[in-house]
This record gives sequence, structure tokens and C-alpha cells, in this order.
Amino acid sequence: MSEFVERAVSVPAETAAGRRPIGLLLVAIPVFLVIWLVIWPAINAISRTIWRTDADGNSSFDLSSYAFFFSDRYSLDNLAITLWTTLVCAVLLLVICLPIALYLRFSHGRLPAYVQALAILPMFVPSIILAFAFIRVLGPNGMVDILLNAVGLPKIRTPYLTPWGPVIGLVWDNIPLTVLILLSGLGSVANQSIEAARDVGANTLRVFWHIILPRISNSILVALSFSVLGIFSSFTLPYLLGPASPEMLGPFMQRTLRDVQDPIGAMTQAVVAFGFCILFGLFYVRSVAKNRGK
Amino acid sequence: MSVLHIAEVTKTFSGGTHAVNSFSLDVADGELVCLLGPSGSGKSTLLRMVGGFEQPTSGRITIDGEDVTHLPPERRPTGMVFQSHALWTHMNVFKNLAFGLKLRRMPAAEIREKVEAVLELVGLAGYGDRMTNQLSGGQQQRVALARSLVLEPKILLLDEPFASLDQHLRERLREEVRDIQQRLGITTLFVTHGQDEALSMADRIVVMANGKTEQIGRPDVVYRDPKTPFVAGFIGTMNLVEGEVKNGHFARSDFSFPLSIADGPATLAIRPEALDLTVSETPKAKVHRVTDYGSHGLVDLDLADGTRLKSMVAHPDLFRTGQGVDLEPRAVAAYRNNQQIFRS
Repeated sequence: MSEFVERAVSVPAETAAGRRPIGLLLVAIPVFLVIWLVIWPAINAISRTIWRTDADGNSSFDLSSYAFFFSDRYSLDNLAITLWTTLVCAVLLLVICLPIALYLRFSHGRLPAYVQALAILPMFVPSIILAFAFIRVLGPNGMVDILLNAVGLPKIRTPYLTPWGPVIGLVWDNIPLTVLILLSGLGSVANQSIEAARDVGANTLRVFWHIILPRISNSILVALSFSVLGIFSSFTLPYLLGPASPEMLGPFMQRTLRDVQDPIGAMTQAVVAFGFCILFGLFYVRSVAKNRGK
Repeated sequence: MSVLHIAEVTKTFSGGTHAVNSFSLDVADGELVCLLGPSGSGKSTLLRMVGGFEQPTSGRITIDGEDVTHLPPERRPTGMVFQSHALWTHMNVFKNLAFGLKLRRMPAAEIREKVEAVLELVGLAGYGDRMTNQLSGGQQQRVALARSLVLEPKILLLDEPFASLDQHLRERLREEVRDIQQRLGITTLFVTHGQDEALSMADRIVVMANGKTEQIGRPDVVYRDPKTPFVAGFIGTMNLVEGEVKNGHFARSDFSFPLSIADGPATLAIRPEALDLTVSETPKAKVHRVTDYGSHGLVDLDLADGTRLKSMVAHPDLFRTGQGVDLEPRAVAAYRNNQQIFRS
């Protein structure tokens, strides 16, 4: 009997001890990948852009690539268009996705289910397919032009190869994730707290402003941070839909590396992009911490 | 003077379910009426229709003669206290209470004065700066009550406000709420499925089942004189015995009782406190279990066919399991076709 009890007691301890290495192993793989694919290249890029080797083989501290980036009109225009695209996309995503998420949260029946399916659909469409669909529909002599022509109307001013091209593509591409995050935030707003607000006299707008918005501010921050980080460093859609000049940092890096064959210049651009992403990340962490502290 | 008038109100949900079916009720000024019934009886739906959160399919609701049937909640002179408190966790207690007053564009000094007065009323003076998640369940419910009271509604609606609280706190809060309601003289509609709450707080009880009124009356009347077998079984503990009446005698198994009603099937209702027991050599029932509650005892009895009855006794130590007993009902009611046909 005592042996049985001893064995019964020892089993969980053994299991826990046995689980520990498996847990560490599971964590170790992604940690190793992050170190190998993100942290090491980042450290390497930063060190290679600030610790340069000259033609004689002498290494020295050198910030000339950064000085060039921040004094070059073309580089600054590219940075500006990237920031502009990111900002416009973030605003448009909020303006488009918040009403969709509110509708999905507070509606019942079959129609909202179809709307949700439609809103999530872009998640399953690869960016390259989306880009070509955009060109076929909104591009020169695309479907819209053909339809307008059929009814005798003039052609549209196509957004293709203008700064609005990547904006439209990136917004469409980021709608699913933004809607899902906002919807999850709205799930934490209880129906009764909304009814209580209406009960004390709040109309729909005041309920939204005073009750719903403060409760989902963290979700909005998360959604915008995810989108902003993705949009700022995006490549495919700006490359396929955007103008040749100025261009977003993603295509700019690729062209600097492949066409201009200037790896230090491309790395400098990458470090600058990385720096901005860290700034967005810090803003997000600070805002979430501030909200939690309230 | 705030009078609530509910006339022939029906609520049918999609799928044809009648949540409330042709319900009528008048609530007098300053009266506290409890809507009592099991889950699904339509009491919460009815309350939500009075509050404006559900639209009646048909019927009319008036408050002080003004038709509010189709008004949204924000334009009704009602204040609702929700089961889950429904406090706004991003606001402190003061802001929770002041929100409705700010919407009415009241001056800040007046808002502060009113909020402090109502916090005093519910026993939470000095709690204005606390966040709602720093309060206990009972304190949160008081804030929810204060949030409704501060707006001085004509009709106060309480939707099972104590359901999430423990028994001790529930008893204390219902006394406090009753005191506040009487002090303010506010007309109140209170939904509960707890008969203790209804019996202890209400001026009148409306017992509901399947969206309809089973009985409306003072708590003591509903308890002593239930008009339907449902009310008899729902309010308090009741022995409901199905049997047959023949030649002026009700009979079920070995148990018979003189009952001067027409022959036919009947349901006999006997309260445990109205069923006396005597130890007998020719028993009609056997003691199944004796439970001693200190102040009294409860004896579970089995008739020969297994029908279980309960009797409340002053001296439970006089009885033991397996003992044969004779049954002496002191007061009974009899029902047939869902109607009371006899009462002694």
C-alpha cells in the first residue's frame, strides 16, 4: 500500500521533470530562429554600417552612410512616402475596420456572418494575386475603364503606379487582421454595460465615445501597431503597385542592393526602417502599459 | 406620483416563441412589485420591455399616463439595475454615477452634490475615487443601484440584482434596498427567481410561468392561498399529491382525506407545516429521513406507492427512519384542471 502511494506521489513529479526539457526545447527553436534570422543580422547590419573598412583594409567608426541617407533628397523622399503611406493606411484601416467590427459585434443573423467571411477573405489571397487583381480592375484599360467606356463615360485616373496604389492594396491586405483584432476587443464589451449607458441617457454616439472606445483602446493600439509595422516594411504591394519614384523603403532597399549593388546603402536603409519600427513598438508598449495602469 | 401601466403586452421572438403573452399589470405609486418565476417564464423580458431594451410585439406600456411603448431606453423615465452590475470599469465610482448627470448637462457643482448624496444613501460615502474593480460584489451592486437612483427615475427596475451575491450579503442588501425604496417612495419593478426575496421585499408578487401571469397578490396571500398548482409548487415548499376523489374522500395509496368536492381526479396541496404526524400502529406512511434544523425538523415520508411527502415538526427527535406514522393535514387546497376548487 505504502509503495503504491509512493509511486502515485512520485508520478506527477517525474512528469513535471520530464516535461521541463520538452518545454525548453519547444521554446528554444523559435528563440534560436529569432536570434539567427533577426537579431544576428540586425546586429551585423548595424555594426557593418557604423564600423566600415576602407580600401586599405583599415576599419574605423564611420557614420557616412547614415549622413548620406539623411542628406540625400531621394532617400528622404522615399522615407517620407513610406511614412505617408503608413499613416494614411493606418487612418483608413481604422475608419474602414472599426465600423465593420462594430457591425459584426452588435448584429445578429446570417448577413453579419457573410460580411465577416467577406472581411476575412483577403487573408487567404496572396499579395501577388491581390496586386494583379488590382491592376486588372483599377489599372489602365482595366475592368472599371471597360465598364465606364461601355456606358460612354471617360476613363478613371488610375491609382496604379501612384502613391495611392500601395495604399489601396495594403489597406485591403490588412483589413482581415485589423477586423479580427478589433472584433476580439469588442467581445470584451459586455452588452449590459452598453445597455446601462443607454439607460442613463446615452445615445448611440455617446455610448460609442464614452463606453465602447475606452474599452477597446488597447485593441485599436494592437491592431494599428501590427498593421503599421507590416505596412512600413512591406515590399510586394509597393513594388508592384507603387510609383518608381519616390518609392517605399522596401522596394528602395531591394533596388539599392540588386540594381545599384550598394549593400552598405541597403543595410543603412534597413537599419533606419528597423529604427522606425522600434519607435512604433515602443509607442505601442508605452500606450498599453499606460492603459493597463489606468 | 409615478404609476406604471402594462396593458396586454406580448413579446414574440423569431421562431414564434411567446416570451410574454398578453400580460397586464398596474403598479401603484411607490409600490414594489416582484416578478417571480422560473427561468424562461418571461419576467426578465417583461422588465426589459419596460426599460426599453426590447420592443413589445403588441400591447402598451405607459408611465404616468405617457405612452413609452416605443421610446428608446435613453428617453424613458426608468432606471435599471442589472444582474451583472454593468459598471463601467474604465471609470471610477464618481464618474460612473456622474455620467448620466453630465449627459443631462447639469452644472459640475450640482453633479458633485447629487453624487455625494446618493453615495451617502447607499452607504458608500467617500468611495467616489475608487475604481469599480477595487470594490466587493456588494459594494459594486450598491454603486449600480446608486447610478440608477442619482437620476431620480420615475420607475426603478431591478433585474435579479442580488443573483451573483452570497446568501448573507443578499439578505443584507435586500433589506437595505427595501429601506431605500420605501424612504424614496420610488415605484419599483423587481425581477427575481428567489421566492425568499419576493416574499420578504414585495408589496405584491406577480408569479409568472410561460410568459403569463399565474397569480398576482400580496406575498402572504400568494403563500397561503396559491390559486394554481404551479404557484403552490413554486412558492415555498409544498406537498402536491395527485389522487382520486370518490364519495367525498381524496385517496392516494394508503393515504385518504375527507374532501367534499365532486368525484374525479384532483391534486391535493399541503404545506409541510400543515401536515401533522403521529406515530401509529396502522401507519399511512413511513419515515424516510429526519433532518434536524435546530429550530425545527423536517421529516421525509414515503406513502406505500413511493410518493414522497414532507412534514415540518417541532420535535424531530420523536421520529426515526423506518417508523410508521399517521398523517393529519390541518389545511389543504385542492386543484382540478389547473384551478383551485377547494381550500380549508
